[in-house]
Amino acid sequence: MDAPAASVLDDRLYQRLVELAAPDGAERGPGRPDLRPAVEQALHHEARLLDERLYRAWLDRFTQDCVYWIPLDPTADPRTRVSYLLDDRRRMEDRIGLLETGWAHAQEPPSRTCRIVSNVEAWPLGDGDTLARCSTVVWEYRKDRLTPFASRNDYVLASLGENWSVRFKIVRLVDSRSDVRKFSFVL
Amino acid sequence: MNALDTLIQSHRVHRSLYTDPDIFVTEMEKIFGGAWVYLAHESQLPEPNDFITARMGLRPLILTRDDDGGLHGLFNRCAHRASTVCQSECGSARRFQCSYHGWTYSNRGELVNVPFAEGYPPDFDLSDHGLAQVPRLGTYRGLIFGTLNPDAPSLAEWLGPAGPLISEFVDRSPSGRIEVRNCQRMVYRGNWKLAWDNAGDGLHPTFAHRSFLLLNERQHGGARSLSQFKASPDDTGMYGADLGNGHMFVDQRPGLQQSFWETQRPVPGREWYADRIVESHGDDAAEVLEMAPGSMINLSIFPNLLIKGNHLETVDPVSAGETRLHTWVAAAEGAPDEVNVLRMRIAEDFPSLGNPDDLEIFERCQEGLAIPEVEWVDMSKGLGHPAEEVAADGVRRAPVTHEGPMRGYLRAWLELMSADANLTTARAGETSFEKAA
Repeated sequence: MDAPAASVLDDRLYQRLVELAAPDGAERGPGRPDLRPAVEQALHHEARLLDERLYRAWLDRFTQDCVYWIPLDPTADPRTRVSYLLDDRRRMEDRIGLLETGWAHAQEPPSRTCRIVSNVEAWPLGDGDTLARCSTVVWEYRKDRLTPFASRNDYVLASLGENWSVRFKIVRLVDSRSDVRKFSFVL
Repeated sequence: MNALDTLIQSHRVHRSLYTDPDIFVTEMEKIFGGAWVYLAHESQLPEPNDFITARMGLRPLILTRDDDGGLHGLFNRCAHRASTVCQSECGSARRFQCSYHGWTYSNRGELVNVPFAEGYPPDFDLSDHGLAQVPRLGTYRGLIFGTLNPDAPSLAEWLGPAGPLISEFVDRSPSGRIEVRNCQRMVYRGNWKLAWDNAGDGLHPTFAHRSFLLLNERQHGGARSLSQFKASPDDTGMYGADLGNGHMFVDQRPGLQQSFWETQRPVPGREWYADRIVESHGDDAAEVLEMAPGSMINLSIFPNLLIKGNHLETVDPVSAGETRLHTWVAAAEGAPDEVNVLRMRIAEDFPSLGNPDDLEIFERCQEGLAIPEVEWVDMSKGLGHPAEEVAADGVRRAPVTHEGPMRGYLRAWLELMSADANLTTARAGETSFEKAA
């Protein structure tokens, strides 16, 4: 396997993430209806890749400078607070590599998931990127348990259409501040 | 419930310690009341009138700082009809008012107002109806502990050889203080002692964390995080220790082949932040970077604090078969910001990649423990082994894969469970405070 790429996460990238995650003091207004079909195409495709555990194909949809973030407190600066995870591309590869070892006990047997993506809104960001927001419920079945993971997600999509790609993905779990079961599938 | 001393034998422990609800109730009373229980860290309530909620076993607590800076462990229970009086996790407040009938308390626990006071008996005295309090509080290097046991030894005595090891953990910060930030909260379906067994267990990483070991070998190569457990961990110099009073220690530092920083798996931002530290600190950069990774020790303070990595993890039992773990991350006070940014990412690394496998295995253990006819859990590794050394201070050291630390905490467990302690609460002004270090 090739040596993993170096991290490109720097202060500037953190700053962009913080601004993106900040509560919308200035109401953005309704999303642009013309962007919605292409955004839904991407989000629905992503949901299917994850439900089918096609993790490598999923990772291929992320840019080299991507960030995948599951905050515990989405209003806090991740430079000063721990998150559930805040991954660059290298650690996303590690997460998938861990499952591929075949020895991740927490995924033996693996989770079966079904995710519902709804309330999709989208806005152009001016630099060619698209901001998408949605509500997601991932139903996870494993052993004798069916567990819902409800979240409001933010995406910054670097491109749309056939070659859609993700620059940022933020998963704001509604219960991130309470006691959650550790999960090792990809949300 | 069987006689307790028949349940713990030199080499094995009975399953009922993990499954019996009656034992659980007694543990919550006698162990999580009779021992010195970790409550919070001073940096979580730095200013006068700050407070944070905590639990002592199943007892809800508000830990407050009064306007003179004094600490108080108030039970979160209205003296009137028992409702909790504080619903926030933390904050700042001079008064706590019960929402049920308006009884109002100061942050020292005194009852300061009862609405519609007319009608109470003539001998009704406000000073008899304050919030019940933890009678004894103490701190050690900023860690706050409390006990309901008037006969417990002093906090310094209770911690014994664990105290200086707390200092080693804290002294990794340039200022000699840690700053506790936020916490990851997780829950598993298993008894709290499964986490406790695991914390002193240097035998499991090779197997339970096989995915993490293999990942690091394949993706990053070399002597990365946890590689010291890859093969023959007992040949590395790593050791476990029973520190007495139930405290346990696992020292991974002798197993490292290179510095903490070189051993640390690459985390997001590693390169950029390390470059900044090299720019600003030149020849001292290597020393500064050494503050970012975890401490490479596992120091367990009985019954509810697991110090590991850069974490203060509290073990918070819910029932015989359910436990919460709250993993508070510590920043190094006085270190460059870059170090603490790296600490945040490092604090997500093993907890999200490695810990799910631990919790999965705790749940598998609890499943296996459900069989009544298969009664015993084996903890014999190292018993009577010539490599078990007892030092002058009573610390028993042994190779890291031995199970001596577990046998040690169970001795403390039995002692507290068998004691006829007279656990008490106190009124405002009747509490004691000891600053142990």
